[in-house]
Amino acid sequence: MLFAHGFYAGGMSDSAEPDVTTETLAELGSSFSYGSRTDLTFKFLARFEADEVGEVVRRVFEYTGALFDDPDPGELVDYVRTIQAEGYHRRQVNERYRYDDGPFTAPTKPLSESTVALVTSSGHFLDGDDPRPFGVDAMTQREAVERIGDFLKEAPTLSEIPIAAIADEIRVRHGGYDIRGSLADHNVSLPIDRLRELEADGEIGAVHPVAYSFVGAAAQTRLVKTTAPEWADRLAASDIDVVLLVPV
Amino acid sequence: MATTSIYIEAFAHYAADMRVPRTLITPHPMGRPVGAPGDAARQRQAVEAALALIHDADAPGFSRELPGSYR
Repeated sequence: MLFAHGFYAGGMSDSAEPDVTTETLAELGSSFSYGSRTDLTFKFLARFEADEVGEVVRRVFEYTGALFDDPDPGELVDYVRTIQAEGYHRRQVNERYRYDDGPFTAPTKPLSESTVALVTSSGHFLDGDDPRPFGVDAMTQREAVERIGDFLKEAPTLSEIPIAAIADEIRVRHGGYDIRGSLADHNVSLPIDRLRELEADGEIGAVHPVAYSFVGAAAQTRLVKTTAPEWADRLAASDIDVVLLVPV
Repeated sequence: MATTSIYIEAFAHYAADMRVPRTLITPHPMGRPVGAPGDAARQRQAVEAALALIHDADAPGFSRELPGSYR
């Protein structure tokens, strides 16, 4: 199947396959953002002009070809990461989330005496505690990608993950980003093992026994006005000094 | 509660717009803000650097870039 039309975890229906005999570079660029070739690593290409999409394809081919002689993927990885950042920097500023000032809480004790909690928007949950979005049992990553529009209309669920949980007990699903890294090692976005090491080494006083994760692709206004303040009150009622936030 | 955060470079402008209290900016790709899978040393470096901001920052909007690279 040398030319099979495929993509990782999240392709749309077969009927959405592009007409490759007439597809333009602009259409190619847009096809990775919840389109016919959905690949969340490259969805930023939808913000690029046609000639820029062509240049990205050329550069990716160039760096890929170089791997035949030097297997270090550093240049390819750094190029894709840099161009990904460029794509996101082109997103228009949302004035609703632009503030002149922000909250600031000064620490009251050294880190070595502080209890640290973790909150991430990675979409992790514990095996057996699936948040069951929209009442769906065992929703797959592909289904989550296909229903991203529904996720953006709903309040998120805050999943609790004991920091002693082992990798085999931890699941992840999120229709808004490429979860392959989080699947391979939860610490890339849910660094509970690293926090436990810091506690063992005495760099922090303790890790809050539960880490929190939710799907950040959710109803944003409700998140800001209702959901997140409720979560903040909940954390504030616990014996927590520091919160490490990891938006994904 | 004092907060600190880890943002990838692609999203750093959002943190600045929102005047997030403390932001560590990592040169990492989307979905891997703390570091690459299996790279415990890099992940720890990022978490330590983010926590260091708790005492280093003196006003909202404080940010620092994590040196080094993803791979």
